[in-house]
Amino acid sequence: MNERQFTRRLFLHSMAGVAAAAAVGRIPEAHAAEALRFWAPGIAKVGAKDFSAMEAQAGISIANTAKSARADEAIQKMVVGDGQKLFDALTDNGGGMEDALASQNTIVPLDTSKIPNWANILPFYRDGGSAAHTLRYQGKVYGIPYISNADSLAYNYDELGFHPDSWAYLFDSQFKGRVALQNDFGPTLTNTAIYLKQSGKQEIADPSNMTPSEVKGVCQFLIDMKKKGQFRTFWNGFSNGLSLFTSREVVMASCWEPIAIVATKKGVNVHYGTMKEGHQVWNNVVMLTKGGKRRGMEDAYYKLANVYLSPWFGARTLQTFGFAPQMEGVADYMAANPNDFDAATRQRLSELMTRKQARLAVKGNAWQNVYPKEYRAYTDWWARLQAA
Amino acid sequence: MAVKLTHTRDASSWRERVLAFSPGRFGSEQGESRLQKWAFLIPALFMILFFALPMALTVVWSVFERTRFWMQPGFTLLAYENFFNSARIDSFLHSMIHSAIAVVISFVMGFPIAVFVRRRIPTTAQHQVILLFLLPFMISELIRVFSLRPVLGRYGLVNAVLERFYMVGKALINWSYGGIWGQGEVLITAKFEPVSIILYTNVGVIIGEVLSFLPFMVFAGFLAMEAIQEYVFELCDDLGSGTLRTFFDIVVPLAAPGIFAGAVFIFVNGLGGALIPDILGGPGAVNAGLLVLGSITALDFPLAMAISAIMLATLVLLLYIGHRLFDLTKILEPIR
Repeated sequence: MNERQFTRRLFLHSMAGVAAAAAVGRIPEAHAAEALRFWAPGIAKVGAKDFSAMEAQAGISIANTAKSARADEAIQKMVVGDGQKLFDALTDNGGGMEDALASQNTIVPLDTSKIPNWANILPFYRDGGSAAHTLRYQGKVYGIPYISNADSLAYNYDELGFHPDSWAYLFDSQFKGRVALQNDFGPTLTNTAIYLKQSGKQEIADPSNMTPSEVKGVCQFLIDMKKKGQFRTFWNGFSNGLSLFTSREVVMASCWEPIAIVATKKGVNVHYGTMKEGHQVWNNVVMLTKGGKRRGMEDAYYKLANVYLSPWFGARTLQTFGFAPQMEGVADYMAANPNDFDAATRQRLSELMTRKQARLAVKGNAWQNVYPKEYRAYTDWWARLQAA
Repeated sequence: MAVKLTHTRDASSWRERVLAFSPGRFGSEQGESRLQKWAFLIPALFMILFFALPMALTVVWSVFERTRFWMQPGFTLLAYENFFNSARIDSFLHSMIHSAIAVVISFVMGFPIAVFVRRRIPTTAQHQVILLFLLPFMISELIRVFSLRPVLGRYGLVNAVLERFYMVGKALINWSYGGIWGQGEVLITAKFEPVSIILYTNVGVIIGEVLSFLPFMVFAGFLAMEAIQEYVFELCDDLGSGTLRTFFDIVVPLAAPGIFAGAVFIFVNGLGGALIPDILGGPGAVNAGLLVLGSITALDFPLAMAISAIMLATLVLLLYIGHRLFDLTKILEPIR
């Protein structure tokens, strides 16, 4: 019995009354809406406070529903919930999620020939590229990337007085009690594994997909550090992470780049470094749901996907959020549009891109994997770290 | 028989109007009794649908088998094994201890407030004063808890005040040492080191729980105090019982059921509320609520259900113990 059958049994047999009541008010699937029903977070739009600029570029209407950063919520909604009925397209919450959704037959393979800007996509996404797997499941393309980044170490330069270039500083006792990690076993264990592997402290084959014994080694290292009082806290959510820097509670933390950008805007001299050992690299993709295709929203989806692979979007997502564009030709586009990107802005964004490319080029980088093979080992050892 | 509906003020009561509306069915004593029976069934039905059934389903689902993204019917105790044979049980027990400490501190701080309001504030103003404790609840709990960060932080309000005291004390001591005793040198040279134990630690979590849940103890304590008749205090005064003896030997035992009710509210919230350890706790701080959340995030639904079932069992056990000790059916019953 698969998840869908169980859901039907659960709600039709065990809770027949509730299911019947829900059925009365359900959304009639046959009535396809004209607008593309798009489940995506705020970072999926540029050019305006709402999706109007994106709509104008794509030539379609978009009915957006805000999406949280929780992969489990999206998986539940799409696999066992009503996501198929509610949404024509959606974004993911990290690498590996498209595999999970495709394996459950909730998203459909894409015909990239219907996306003219597919020709612009970064080379490492093409067949045989180092990031080709992040868009594909069983060899077929299921997602179009719209942002990516390499998670690194943010630090308060005024407090440190130097630019750290290694994760080793995060575990250095001279900063005991003044550093923080992300309260998420994915990036935290992956980045720690990258550090341990590249510094020769532990044998790890693939930091994105560790064996139980490798997970144990990484967590025991962190447990030891935690018991010594190395970590001030594990931050959870953008506001929590930001406040650690703005309140000067910590001098460095593994975190998302937008936190460093906003902290700098708030007057704290926070930089986002490049770690010589490597980083967890991730992207977010846009997918077409099986329900969306059935409702005839395929063309609208491809028009939107084409915008996501246009330099128009890439230049603006870099400018607005600091995320790496997923296509080539962004610098040329900005130079050709001086009214939107003046010389100073182009210079700033060029420097930002250079730093990003330096991070993305580090040999030890590992792509994010939100559902590693030994997931149970990850969660069990994370629980031990929490309890330590 | 024709029924005439009227909206006159002298249509004496709701019950009579209902009966007048349906005379054929409820017009007799027998019909009235049937109506009352059905009226009582409504809350019972509500409780079954929205409390008993979800709780039963929680227990049932906790023994289902986990699949990759959901669960399937079956019987396995794997989720319980996963809970008891992992570090999750340690986190659960730790959060119970922290919640128990928060209960004790809330009692020490909150119950005297309840007694004070009941005994010292004029009767006409007592309820207004108690309602003042509702004011914090008008603000989002997230805001309330988050706002503790700039207060308790390394460079927060508490540390700023402590630093001022330190500077004044340091200056005074150095002045005394160098000036009065003529040593010609300073005794204290160390800079103020911020107190970091009050945030991002278990202490921070307990502070957050006390500040968030203290009103529960004040409310429950006040209601318990209302059940104690005035003559009890007069009798104590007449017999020459001192304030402390009256408090510990008379007031606390008589108000014990109410205190227990307040304690259960605080304990359960401390155990299950995910917000406080998430915002004020140390590295990876978790309580039972966050364990459930973590299990859901990991798509391990049977484990989330098992932890919830264990929380439920803990609460039932607590209520049973409380009932055996204090007879909870008499919480608000006047003490004669």
